[in-house]
Formats: sequence, structure tokens, C-alpha cells
Amino acid sequence: MASPSDELKRARSELISLFSAGEVSESFQENCTEVMDYYFRRSVQESDTGQRLFRDKRPFALVALGGYGRRDLCIHSDIDVLILFDSRVPSSAKKLAEDVFYPLWNLGLDLGHAIRGIKDCLSLAVENLEALTSLMDARFICGDSPLYLALMERLEKKILPKKRLTLGRWLEEQNQIRMDVFGDASCLLEPNLKEGIGGLRDYHHLLWLAKAFFRLRTPKDLEYSGLLSQKEYADLESHLKFIHLVRNHLHRESARKNDRLTFDHQESIAQALAFKDQDSFLAVEQFLGQIHASMAAIKSLRHSFVFTHFPGSRKNGNGTGASESLRAPFHMDQGEIHFPSATAILTDPLLLLDIFLEGVKAGCPLSLESKRLVREFLYLVDETCRTSERAARCFLSILNAPNASDALVQMLETGLLCAFIPEFEPIQDRVQFDHYHLFPVGRHLVQSVRQLKTLPQERDILLADIFLDLLDPEPLFLAALFHDIGKTGKDHAAKGAGLARKILKRFGYDRKKMEDVCFLVHRHLLLAETASRRDLNDEKIVVQCAGTVGTVDRLKMLYLLSWADGKATGPRAWNDWIANLVLELFLKILHILEKGELATPDASKRMKLSIQEVRNRIGDRLSPADQESMFDGMPPNYLIETSPRAIVRHLTLYATLREAWAKGFKNAFCLEAEAAPSSGTYEVTFLAGDRAGLFSHVAGVMALNNINILSARIYTWRDGTAVDILTVTPPLDPLHPEEIWEKIKGDLAGTFEGRLCLTKRLQQKAEPSILSPRKTPIRQTCVNVDNESSDFFTLIEVFADDRIGLLYRITHTLFTLGMNIRVAKIATKADQIADVFYVLDLEGQKVMEQAKTEEIKDVLLRELSKG
Amino acid sequence: MKKVEAIIKPFKLDDVKESLSALGVKGLTVTEVKGFGRQRGHREVYRGAEYQVDFVSKIKIEVVLEDELVSDAVRVIQEKAKTGQIGDGKIFILSVENAIRIRTGEMGKEAI
Repeated sequence: MASPSDELKRARSELISLFSAGEVSESFQENCTEVMDYYFRRSVQESDTGQRLFRDKRPFALVALGGYGRRDLCIHSDIDVLILFDSRVPSSAKKLAEDVFYPLWNLGLDLGHAIRGIKDCLSLAVENLEALTSLMDARFICGDSPLYLALMERLEKKILPKKRLTLGRWLEEQNQIRMDVFGDASCLLEPNLKEGIGGLRDYHHLLWLAKAFFRLRTPKDLEYSGLLSQKEYADLESHLKFIHLVRNHLHRESARKNDRLTFDHQESIAQALAFKDQDSFLAVEQFLGQIHASMAAIKSLRHSFVFTHFPGSRKNGNGTGASESLRAPFHMDQGEIHFPSATAILTDPLLLLDIFLEGVKAGCPLSLESKRLVREFLYLVDETCRTSERAARCFLSILNAPNASDALVQMLETGLLCAFIPEFEPIQDRVQFDHYHLFPVGRHLVQSVRQLKTLPQERDILLADIFLDLLDPEPLFLAALFHDIGKTGKDHAAKGAGLARKILKRFGYDRKKMEDVCFLVHRHLLLAETASRRDLNDEKIVVQCAGTVGTVDRLKMLYLLSWADGKATGPRAWNDWIANLVLELFLKILHILEKGELATPDASKRMKLSIQEVRNRIGDRLSPADQESMFDGMPPNYLIETSPRAIVRHLTLYATLREAWAKGFKNAFCLEAEAAPSSGTYEVTFLAGDRAGLFSHVAGVMALNNINILSARIYTWRDGTAVDILTVTPPLDPLHPEEIWEKIKGDLAGTFEGRLCLTKRLQQKAEPSILSPRKTPIRQTCVNVDNESSDFFTLIEVFADDRIGLLYRITHTLFTLGMNIRVAKIATKADQIADVFYVLDLEGQKVMEQAKTEEIKDVLLRELSKG
Repeated sequence: MKKVEAIIKPFKLDDVKESLSALGVKGLTVTEVKGFGRQRGHREVYRGAEYQVDFVSKIKIEVVLEDELVSDAVRVIQEKAKTGQIGDGKIFILSVENAIRIRTGEMGKEAI
């Protein structure tokens, strides 16, 4: 016959290979324990020393401790065994230990062993609480059973009554330590199955408390004693089974005792557990969802067990004295809310929702019994409940309360949230298999609401200010709770908006506010995505965002939602780095919405229509890709202020210019003049490659030829093409205008090639003559430099009396000051001008230093006051 | 062997990454960084109150290359990361003594 250790080896490897083949799964711990027990019984029997000790009347018992005592042996669990003697440990015990234990080390098992008398065991348990808990799980294996019984009796009668309060406190401390070290496993991406909060340790704690305070012997007693209901115990068992199963797979894969379910194991374990990909819901995501759900259930059970049976352990006596303020029919007992009776719920099922509202109002949780009742009566929440006005009102009151998230967590745990809003069902435990999302979706949504509720106390005062500025934050809370509700497939934001609409319609919710919620859900990624992927210095991008957002109030809510969503997702999704970018985008959109005419829904619609018409007119004269890049490079105000017909004309001129540039004629330009008979003016279109001072050349040449610029719009396309559209007075000689325009073209070419010096020629022209009457200024020249109105440009406004060459003088001065004019709006009323220039410095930046803005003002004023 | 470090605008990352891959660069490291150069921080105004933003968010790319690839890599980074405006970033080139691939122990050229 094989030796006990050979047989153990064979039995274990058989068991493990059966497990790997998926044949023993749920009974593995039990089987593993039996195999070990069998080994110990045989090895004691076959040990000569062991038999001699019995003959010498030195009886001993083999006792399993800890997890082995609880029959919870996973593949690589420690095996803790005690050889127990009555009092003094005889010297030959060493030989016994060699016989029994050495073979186990040779097999590579993790063995924890001790050889002690009863008294030593007990005094160790008094000194060391860890030893105490290990002893509480003790189980007799073989040898002299009266010894074991004597040990347990003295433990129960002498030690536990004295030590149990200390034990209770110590377990609470351990919990805190576990939270700090391992975190809340029910929502971690790589949960620790044993030590994490919600892990097996929670169950052990519960068991130890029950043993210490209620003299329970086995886990089954939790149900017999009525400490847990039948359903709770059944749930606990099934969750434990699942976690143990996962833990065994994890041990098998890691080939060592490893309790942290790291990324590299998750996919293969999901596969081993026969999870299958469904649509876009990965097997591994379903698997993690189930693990999290099990761990959350265990955590919640332990929590309410402690809360119910150990009121002394509560840290805050939050609910004291609130009992009177509690609305009937609920009542308060020891800081917890209770239903009046089960029958009351049967008559009025909406009490199931009301109790949570009372809870947030009083700042107290539901009692374990109340939660039990909520779970048992979930079937009462039917379509009539869900569409009732009272229910909707109650739900919104909960959501608007400052501590709403406490109630929402409890509603999620008890299943009420899913019962009341069935759209939560498919996503509540959904986990995303990436390094980004820390929480399952349901938890993430509640967490987002919790983040928003902290805003009034937020250290970043800007965020707090924005929140306090909101007229009505309710749509924001609803959007936070619903923003990922569409996470069952692709394009979850759009899908979520649809679901949110459905839910809110059922609530009979206010129409306008419903639109806000749907908008927020639909666009909840807009700011973060734009901020990290697009050029925030590109006015058009920001204008497009502003057009999408539409109103300042929506923008504020969207910004806060982005923040809360990011914070609730995890540190990789939200940090100072992304916060900076999103803030920049938020403020730029805000300024456009508050000041600009570019972002009105009307403007963005006009832009779209205009582009469409230009496309139709151009047809296939330009490839779609070329068209796209052209439209992309046109500034928003150009698209809004220019007719489609004119844009087509510009594109045609541009095509000829581009050919000329390609041939090396860098100075090539286009000038077209068209009479506008109704107003007696001319419209001049001018295209050229942008260069420093370009517009001043145009203005100068016009002045030189006695043409006064009445108004002008000048734009720069992104590729550096300048497009100027001028309304001008007609040439002095109305009979031969073409000659004048030809001369102007010649002068312009001369200027560009450096053959003609405008300053000098204009000076000669302006020399006082008896023929040119001198007007006395009626109005003082005025210059403003404005950095507030636009995030992209510095605005320079000039008000002055009009005169020939004035525009040249202004633009030339700006050129000498190193200003690049990107957009100009020139307007003349009677004989006064009001010009606005959108400028950037030579590095493409706004002019922010005060010294420089002062200089611009001074120099312009000085230049303009010269006769 | 040289290490090329580039600080660029976040939205330029994809362009730069793609063109470096096209050059045959086999791997690079990307970090989200904050800092300031001539752009400094900036001051934001919301409803009259001022909020100072000290650092600007940028992306740092690090890539170790054979000497022959360096000039091309620098050229494409500069091309792709340029918007012509302030805050486009900087490129640094550093000498690298050696490189070791941890898995295999390969050294030098083979390891990059």
C-alpha cells in the first residue's frame, strides 16, 4: 500500500486535474479538506511515536485551524494544524511532528503547525487576537476528542466572554486596515478575493462575531439561529461558492497562493467559467460584473449584520432625536429606519420608495430588516408604481437631497433602483475590461451623483461657483445618474439619451428640463474628447462646440457633468492634466456663448446651409477631399458673413492664384471690382497670399487713387490666403472705371515688388494745397484695446473722423507695431469711421502685456492726430 | 544611439505617432505632462473672479533611436507638431549609452 504522503500526493493531483477539467468545481474545498483529513488520520495511525504516546497515556489530538478548520481549502491555501496535548508537551512529540509534518513539506504544501498544551493555546489566544480567531475555527481531525472538546469549552466559557468586545473592536480596526491596504474589492479592477473589502475575510469576520457573541458553531447556524434569513443565507452561500471557485482557478493559474485577481488572469478565468461574449458585452466583463456583485453582496451583508447586532460599533449617532421628525408610518430605532409592518407595504407598495426618502431626510440608513422587506416585496413594484406621479415626485426628492447618494447606494443594493427604473438592470453590474473604469456602471453612476453633491464644499472654488450659479441643478443630477445607462452597446451616449427620454416621460417630467437631461446624456463626452483631441486655439472648433451646446446654462451643467463623470471613473480618467484642458475649453465656449454671435443655433445652421450650397454649385470642379480641407480652413465669421455665390467666386479665383503661386509668382494676386448700381458704390474682391502689412498696402493704393474704403471685411484662410471684400466709393472718373482699376492693380503689383513707396507717395499727395479743404475734427480720435471679447484675438477698435488715407495710416501703424490683422470690420458712417481689427502678434498670440497694449494705443493716437 | 524627447500639444499626438511609425520607429513612450515655457501659465476670469492656471497640459514623447534615424524623426516631429503658434513645444536630443531588452538580455541596437 502506498505511504500516506504518496497517497495524498496522488489524491491531490487527481483532484486538481478533475478541477481543471471542470468536473469538481463547487465541492473542491470540501474534497480537498477530506483528502487532507485522511492523510492526517493515516499518518498518525502509522506513526510509531504516535501509537506509543497513546500507549503511554499521553493522549493528543490533531486539530485543524483557520481555513482548514472551516473546510475552506483552496488549491494553494495554507494548511494550519495543531497537535494538542493536555498540558505539558512530551519530548517525543518532536518525533511525532516529524512523522506527520515532514512529508507535507516535501510535497511543497504551505503548512502552519504548532504543538501545544491546552493552557498554552488559551493564553496565546488571550494575547493574540489573530490566534484567537484561528482557534475559533478549530475542528477535530483525529486522536483524542475529549482533549479537543475541553479546549473548545474553555475557549467558549473562559476566553470569549472576556475577549469578545476587544475582538469586535479589533475586527473593525482590521477592516479599516484592509480598506487602506486592499481597497473595496467590490469595485476594484483587480480585486483581492480574500482580503479586499467584500472578500472572503468579510464572511470570516461575520462568522467570528457570530461565534463570539451568539455561540454559533457552524456557518449553517447563522440561518438556524435566525441571524440571517433563509434567503440571505442562501445568497451568502452562493456568493461564497462563486468566489471560492474563482479563487481556485486563480490559484491553479498562478500556481501559487495568489488572491489578487489581476488583469492577466481575468480573461482566461472567465473562459474557464464558461462565460461567453454576447454582442459587445465581453465574457470577461460579465465575469467581473458577477464577481463585483458577489463581493458587494457580501460586503453589504457584513455591514448590515454588524450594524444590526452591534449597535455599539456605530461611529456616529447620526439619527438620534430625529425620530420625532420622521414622517408616519415609519419609525426609528437605534438610528435606523423601520417599516411599520409587512402588511403596510402590501397595502401601499410605494412605501418601498418612501422609506428611502425618509432615510435621506433623517440621515439614517434602513435597518437590516427593512432592507430584507424591500428585497422580499420588490415584485410589488409594477408599471402602475413606476408611472405614478407620487413615485416620481418621491424619487426626485431623493435625488435632490444633499446625501442622495447614500439612498441611491442602498436602492442599488436592495434592487429597488432596478425595479423602479428597469433600464438599470442590464448595466448595473456591467464592468468594462480596461484600465480606465474603476467601478461597474451602476456604481459609477451613483458615484457621479455623489461627486456632484460634494460641489458646494469643493476646494476648487471655480467649480463650486459654477455649481452655485445653476438655476436648477436637477437636470444635472438626473443626467449624472443616467449618463451611462446606454452602456449596453455601441454609441452609448446617444442610446442613453433615448433611454433617459423614455424614463423621464414615464415620470411625467417637465418637457424643457427633459431636453436638458437628454442633451447632457447625449453629449457627456463632448468636452473631454474635444479638449484632449482637438486644437483649442482653433476658433472654429470652439465655435462648433458652442453651437452644439447652445446655452450657457447647459454648458455649465455639461462641464460639471464631465468633471463628476471623470472623477467617478478613476484617476486615469480625470487628473489635473485633463482638467486643465477641459477648463480651457469650457471658458472659451463660455465666452463665445456670452459674447459672440457666432454660436447661436441660427449661425451654425447658416454655416452648414451655406457650405451645402457652395458644394452644390461647385459640383465636381473640386475633389471632395479638397473641398473638405478648404471649408475646414475657412474662419467661421467668413462662412457666416459671405454669400455662397461669393464663396464660389473666391474659390474660383483661388484656383487660378494657386496655379500662379505654383509657378513661382509669389506676388500674384486677384482683384475684381463690381459696380453696385443701387448704392452707387463698388464692391472689390481681393485675394492674395497673406503677408505682413498686406491690408495696409491695399488701403494705401486705394487712397492713392482717390478711392475711399467705406467698409471692409478681411479674412485669412488657414492656408494663408487673404480674402478682402471692400465696399468703396466709385472712381472719380465714372466714364472709364476700368482704367482706374487697371491702374490700381499696377500700383499694387508695384508695391508688392517694392517699386513703389506708398508712404512717400501718400505724403506728397496729402501736402496742403489750396484745393483740398481742411476739415477741423469734430470728434476726438479714440482707440480701445480689448482682450476680453475674444479668446483668440486681441481687438483694436478705432473711432475717428474719416479722411483719405486714414485706413492706410491705421493699418500701416499696426503693421509697424508687429500686429498681424486677421479680421477687420471697417465701417463708415457719414464722415466718421468705426473700425475693429482682430489682431495677433507675430507669434500668433494675443497681445496680453499691458505695456504693449498701452504702446499700441499711444502710437495709434499719435499717428492719427498728425494732420 | 540617441534619445529624442519631444514636448508637444496633446491633439498632435496621433499625427506624430503615425508619422514616426511610418518611419519605422518601433516603440515610444508617451506621458501626460504639465509645465510652462514662454507661454507661461495663464489667468482665467469667470464672472469677474480670477483663477490662476500655472501649468499648461502637454504630451511628452520619448523615443530611443539609432543615430541614422534621428534626423528624420526630428524632422517629422517638427512637421507634424507644428501649428505655427506659441506653445507648439520643443524637441530634445540626448545621447544614450546603451539599451538592454529585459526579456532577452539583448543589448544595443537589437534592444531598441
